[in-house]
Amino acid sequence: MRVVIAEDLALLREGLVALLRENDIDVVAQVEDGPGLLRAIAGHEPDLAIVDVRLPPTFSDEGLQAAIEARRRQPALGVLVLSQYVETAYASELIGENTAGIGYLLKERVGDVRAFLDALQRVAAGGTVIDRQVVTQLLAPRGAAGDGLLRLTAREREVLELMAEGRSNTGIAESLVVTPGAVEKHVTNIFAKLDLAASHDDHRRVLAVLTYLSATRRTVED
Amino acid sequence: MPTLAAGLSIGAYVRSLVHRLAFLAAVLVVSIWAIGSRGYFWPAWAWLGLGVLVLLDFAAAWAWRRPPGAVRRVACVWAAVAVAAVILVFTWLLTWRLAGAHSFWPAWALLGLATAGSAYSLVALHDRVLVAYGRRALRARIDMLTRTRRQAVDAQAAELRRIERDLHDGAQARLVALTLQLGRAELRAAEQPEVRLLIQEAQQEAQHAIAELRDLARGIVPPLLADRGLVAAVESLAGRYGLGTAIDASSRRQLAPAVESAAYFVVAEALTNTVKHACAKHTWVRLHEGTRALLVEVGDDGRGGADEAGAGLAGLRARVEALDGHLHVESPPGGGTVVEASLPCGW
Repeated sequence: MRVVIAEDLALLREGLVALLRENDIDVVAQVEDGPGLLRAIAGHEPDLAIVDVRLPPTFSDEGLQAAIEARRRQPALGVLVLSQYVETAYASELIGENTAGIGYLLKERVGDVRAFLDALQRVAAGGTVIDRQVVTQLLAPRGAAGDGLLRLTAREREVLELMAEGRSNTGIAESLVVTPGAVEKHVTNIFAKLDLAASHDDHRRVLAVLTYLSATRRTVED
Repeated sequence: MPTLAAGLSIGAYVRSLVHRLAFLAAVLVVSIWAIGSRGYFWPAWAWLGLGVLVLLDFAAAWAWRRPPGAVRRVACVWAAVAVAAVILVFTWLLTWRLAGAHSFWPAWALLGLATAGSAYSLVALHDRVLVAYGRRALRARIDMLTRTRRQAVDAQAAELRRIERDLHDGAQARLVALTLQLGRAELRAAEQPEVRLLIQEAQQEAQHAIAELRDLARGIVPPLLADRGLVAAVESLAGRYGLGTAIDASSRRQLAPAVESAAYFVVAEALTNTVKHACAKHTWVRLHEGTRALLVEVGDDGRGGADEAGAGLAGLRARVEALDGHLHVESPPGGGTVVEASLPCGW
């Protein structure tokens, strides 16, 4: 796998590079800003770009804009956006029309090295990885509408959040320290409560969750 | 009665007209006589007498129209000074022109009169002068305080944004780098369960610290507000509450950070109250440009009866008033709630 990293903080950038190289991932370029990212992608044709949302010079959302532009130029490119904070608007802008090969994670997820490497592989392979905080934010206190989600138990919400990260049942079971069978039961319940057709394909499950959540948001907002 | 009143006011008008004409005629005739008839001047004194009478009447009427009290008294004094001055000057003119007197005596008398009038005015009006001066000084002080307070509020808002940025890009980013290093260490310690456990604990601490820093930064300035401005932040906020809030934002102007933050917190507080208490079907947010102010309106059709003295609304009021703005809450029981804020912008 060939990777480009766009991150302005040298300490973190070098840490990422070291981590990836230790795990036999080829870091072909490291850049510090949006235009640099676009140049690197044109020059190196990587499989995956890891991009920080806030980049110089204005430190607002250049990274996100550059990632979206990079995807427009090379639709096959996997993009994993790292952010200091979760913003559902950013997630939905990034996803846009094409959900394949998209990741949106909080920066500190890099600490869980195995899960992070796993997420990289999935995004590069065309999967979708959405931070569980996005789900939490979408499930946050709501008004009279949006009750469908309130019927979920606390455990089911946790499972839903991990599903959004594109994890398999086994992965979810490991993370929650329960048996895969228990996870399967939760997943079935969630899909039943949200009125979705059950699916065992991890990527399609993420999409189903996101579609459901964004659809709820839309009906609520109309 | 109206006829009588009309008759009186017409009478008063005619009288004042007659006064004026008589005065002008007297001055004119006396002047022509004084200049034209050499040596024969006793009628000039008669005319002067008439003119002085008319002038007195004129001056007294003028003084009487001043507001009562010290100002009217001062006006009376100056009317008397004016009449005396006219008599002096005419007398001097006539005697000089007709009898050939060359003395400069009226100048001293005039000077004395003016000095006396001025001295009296100063004594009678000195407290008014002081009050006027004090008022000017006070206004200047208010202007200065308003200006410097706004500068302080702006500086504080800019400083808070800098702190938010520093927290995210400084401390938080370093902690992220730390968890990354710990993660790498953990991978290498696969064979040593005790070391792994220690590393995992350290990592959890770092994760907590990161989460706390993020919450802290969000409380200071919501990152979306800093990154994308008011409208995007309000849209995100409304989306998060899932109230189906209608957002009408005609103003897309660049706002000062202090104004932007205040407007955001008005919307946030009002929507939070709506979610908690209102049981509303519809909610709306409007952001409009008023005259030199941003107008923020947040409304719902819920149960109303908001407590204006509550901590939330009182805090908002303080925040808005620090910008010389106004906060208005309309919340009759059962009649929905509308929170309006006007935030001066100096456009």
